Amino acid sequence: MTVGDRTDASAERSLEDRLAAYLSEQLPSAEDIRVVDLERIFGGASRETYRFVLTYREEGETRSRRLILRRDPPGSLIETERAVEFGAYRAFHGTPVPVPEALWLEEDPKWLDYPFFIMEEIVGMQSNARFASQHAKKLAPQKWTILGEIAKVDPAAVGIDAVMEAVGPDECWKRELGYWEKQIDRNELCPQPIARAAIRWLRRNPPLPAQRVGVVHADYRTGNFLFDEHGVIRAILDWEMAHLGDPLEDLAWGLNPVWRSADGRVGGIASREEAIGIWEKASGLRADPHSLRWWELFSSVKGQAIWVSSAKEFTDGKNQDLILAVAAWLMGNRQDCAILSELGYAS
Amino acid sequence: MKPDMTRFLEVASTHLMTKTAQVLAPGYEQSSLLVLGVMLAAVRHEFERAAAWRVEENGALRRLFAEAAPAVRDIELGARLEEAAAGEDSSLIVSDLERNNAALRGLLIDLHAHVEEIDSPEARLIEEKIWRELAASTERRTLPLPGLT
Repeated sequence: MTVGDRTDASAERSLEDRLAAYLSEQLPSAEDIRVVDLERIFGGASRETYRFVLTYREEGETRSRRLILRRDPPGSLIETERAVEFGAYRAFHGTPVPVPEALWLEEDPKWLDYPFFIMEEIVGMQSNARFASQHAKKLAPQKWTILGEIAKVDPAAVGIDAVMEAVGPDECWKRELGYWEKQIDRNELCPQPIARAAIRWLRRNPPLPAQRVGVVHADYRTGNFLFDEHGVIRAILDWEMAHLGDPLEDLAWGLNPVWRSADGRVGGIASREEAIGIWEKASGLRADPHSLRWWELFSSVKGQAIWVSSAKEFTDGKNQDLILAVAAWLMGNRQDCAILSELGYAS
Repeated sequence: MKPDMTRFLEVASTHLMTKTAQVLAPGYEQSSLLVLGVMLAAVRHEFERAAAWRVEENGALRRLFAEAAPAVRDIELGARLEEAAAGEDSSLIVSDLERNNAALRGLLIDLHAHVEEIDSPEARLIEEKIWRELAASTERRTLPLPGLT
């Protein structure tokens, strides 16, 4: 079998059958293991995401469980470590930060052609932007309080330092800026004069060292939550870019203008000042104005690096999921507008 | 060409979103079709203006380079600016205009980084003009698409 070629003999077996074969290895005491109602979920651009129902017999009983499969695609918006995402779900499960239970991580491509992991499905939830706006007053305190909880966590205490690279308080900004600048270098299909000007500004005006090195979710925005019909956040998803760093990075990402609603509310649910106030109270950290401004501008550079990379993936043909093209078209110019606004040059 | 390409794309986009997508069950394929419909609406918008804004922008960049060339302190960069300022778009094929635009925007990055390092009123004036051109470039590229949260 050749990894990357899904037309070979093993790929002709259905994904359901192959998944069931894998799960049989993981559940040796179970019998009659079946995977049913497998359905791909639209969106997740860094991994293919499927929901399915696992049924099996064990100890004389028929059991079933609704699960999520997250499989690496041939190409993705961002190159991410599945072990990091899996490790983050493991670390935060059962803490005040709500996440689904992560069950199995598989790096061997023999099972489904590409590495993957499986976690529980949080059933009956939604992440609809209109619903979020309607429940803004309830969601906003939860959203930034949970982010404060993430910032407070000692990475070593939850064991996540084993899968995330250590970084010193004064190195956080350099490492992140260097990483995302390199993504633009590697993936830009045309010059990015606005992002390049922002990068030069960021290097000339560094932020203060991190008050604390903590876990950074790195894509903490309203669209990555699941909440119930009462407006209670039940799960924080999409930890694929998580790393150790300055917690201000997460706060700034959520404040980015590209996630604002038409009325200017950050993440569509709160004023900028309200969000910062909730986060400061929950995290016990201070959002130093210069440092926060630095991280907000950085967020736009990182965003542009993601949109540039999505355009490259789509153009190269490694992954032609429409979400990659629409993300580049939809967000690239908006991110440039955000940079201009943050630097005081918006038209 | 009749019917107009823009009209065709408008009809195709509406058909995909209001008819074809609606016969599919909610899920990955339906969402993909809806996104395709939105993208066709954006293509319709871009088809109409594609050559116009690229010609406008390439001209604006060449004029900016002509103004900036005498003020730069790097001889090699000055020569590149003068050469670019003297250029023109000999073809209105969009991919040709894109190629010229990429070369001009690459040179704009070099000019911008250069003048940032110069402490003079002329340099500040050029820098101000660069920022104005960059702001104008985002207005030219704006597409009528919905946002994310």
